[in-house]
Amino acid sequence: MATPIRDPSSNVMSLPLPSPKAPLGYPDLYGKRREMARIQMLEREISFLEEELKSSEGFQPASKCCQEIADFMMANSDPLLPTSKKNRRSCRLWKWLCRMRCLNLSWVCCWCCDCFSTSCCNCKQSKCKCSSCVPSINCSLSNWCCCCDKKSHCCKETCDCNNKCCCSLPGCYFKWPFPSCCICKCSCSCTCPSFPKVLPSGCCTKC
Amino acid sequence: MSVTELKERHIAATETVNNLRERLKQRRLSLLDTDISGYAKSQGRTPVTFGPTDILCCRTLQGHTGKVYSLDWTSEKNRIVSASQDGRLIVWNALTSQKTHAIKLPCAWVMTCAFSPTGQSVACGGLDSVCSIFNLNSPTDRDGNLNVSRMLSGHKGYVSSCQYVPGEDTHLITGSGDQTCVLWDITTGLRTSVFGGEFQSGHTADVLSISINGTNSKMFVSGSCDSTARLWDTRVASRAVRTFHGHEGDVNSVKFFPDGNRFGTGSDDGTCRLFDIRTGHQLQVYYQPRRDTEMAHVVTSIAFSISGRLLFAGYTNGDCYVWDTLLAKVVLNLGSLQNSHEGRISCLGLSADGSALCTGSWDTNLKIWAFGGIRKVI
Repeated sequence: MATPIRDPSSNVMSLPLPSPKAPLGYPDLYGKRREMARIQMLEREISFLEEELKSSEGFQPASKCCQEIADFMMANSDPLLPTSKKNRRSCRLWKWLCRMRCLNLSWVCCWCCDCFSTSCCNCKQSKCKCSSCVPSINCSLSNWCCCCDKKSHCCKETCDCNNKCCCSLPGCYFKWPFPSCCICKCSCSCTCPSFPKVLPSGCCTKC
Repeated sequence: MSVTELKERHIAATETVNNLRERLKQRRLSLLDTDISGYAKSQGRTPVTFGPTDILCCRTLQGHTGKVYSLDWTSEKNRIVSASQDGRLIVWNALTSQKTHAIKLPCAWVMTCAFSPTGQSVACGGLDSVCSIFNLNSPTDRDGNLNVSRMLSGHKGYVSSCQYVPGEDTHLITGSGDQTCVLWDITTGLRTSVFGGEFQSGHTADVLSISINGTNSKMFVSGSCDSTARLWDTRVASRAVRTFHGHEGDVNSVKFFPDGNRFGTGSDDGTCRLFDIRTGHQLQVYYQPRRDTEMAHVVTSIAFSISGRLLFAGYTNGDCYVWDTLLAKVVLNLGSLQNSHEGRISCLGLSADGSALCTGSWDTNLKIWAFGGIRKVI
């Protein structure tokens, strides 16, 4: 409680003017704890960075990573790439060797198997297999698979009269959503009616 | 220890952290002997070349009445789910262009969607901070609406991205505006792990995108407004495995490279970048071709073709560049082709077999692009 003061002029006791109290002497625990938490995070970050610095001694140079990327791209066919020809330069020698039946190189030949639909042609086993693809056609080239979808999607052109489609291989016509690896030619056969001197138009159209 | 002493310790620790980061940066720089395009040129590689009709728009999926924000393909069978500003998810048969489901969402502000690996469920998330799961085989209610089968609540900010863990219909990962990523158990609706957050070594700003490694589903990357991408191991939530610096703006999109050892990013700074997860190397920067006075357009979304040779990048000006990943050259712009989108490309994704690309746009449509030419086998 404030001590009363005697006013000299009036000889009256009065209380001093109010003034704010001095702050209590409690420790700033919240500030301390927050600061300690920050320090702990930094010290953890220091140990992470030291670990990473140590492990970086074993890092390979960027050129090695680039080589891995390029090799991966070459090893995997891509339905969206316009041509597979250039991707398969290294396969030409193997393709020639693969055709030689006297050499049992099926495990290597399969590596060169040109699969545009990875779900269809399985190149990972010792022989190229066309699985889960009906119908499938074994290409004329030894150990090469070519997977065809239904024949109705195989032939692009339609033929007049009794059309009969035949597929010529090898070749791939890739058109989403029904990829087909047949390049088709139509061969027609038809019978003309036996009306004398009158030939209906459109009969016996040749492809 | 007094607060003053603690502050001094804080300053010393900060200095140590900065020194170590600088040493790590210098170590990395010393190993950056080339980038991918430099390596490819030294090997005599030539860019991919497309003919005028090699890539065509085969389908336009029309039905949304608002901007398309997100899309995802099924793992098998050609179906797509898309999310739009109109507050709906639509499930499309990509072959026939027909809609198999149109789901009116409880919260219209959706930002992301994903198909489950079996194709039986779809997930979505947005400004409601919740990831909602819909079972496509469930019966609809009297109004023909499909009800939410599970709500994953726990984020303290918007859900910007979601992806199911490959091969698991019961787990998915979300990225959020609360700066964290979460691995969820859908069966229980609970969080299995939280990546980042206040006291963990995580992002320091909103997470905008995530991508789970297709060859090792224990690893995923996240992209954030803090301009970094971070690699996470789902078994170790306490800290990021590695932080990837380089971008100068928000990282809007991240996507793993098909070999599982690299990933790509797309950013507000207009560039795409390719990083190596094992070493942290920034292997390539893909700069938009532009005049000096022209501003770079923001990259909204990216995807790799199945071999990784092509990098698709959607931009805010409606362009969709096809990059030759190896030579770092733009080989095609889908935005300049016939029948292209009329607005910003907001999302894109490749079909599971790599034969088609779907793009989603603010023009409310989705489009499917595929190879339309003939390839001859030698």
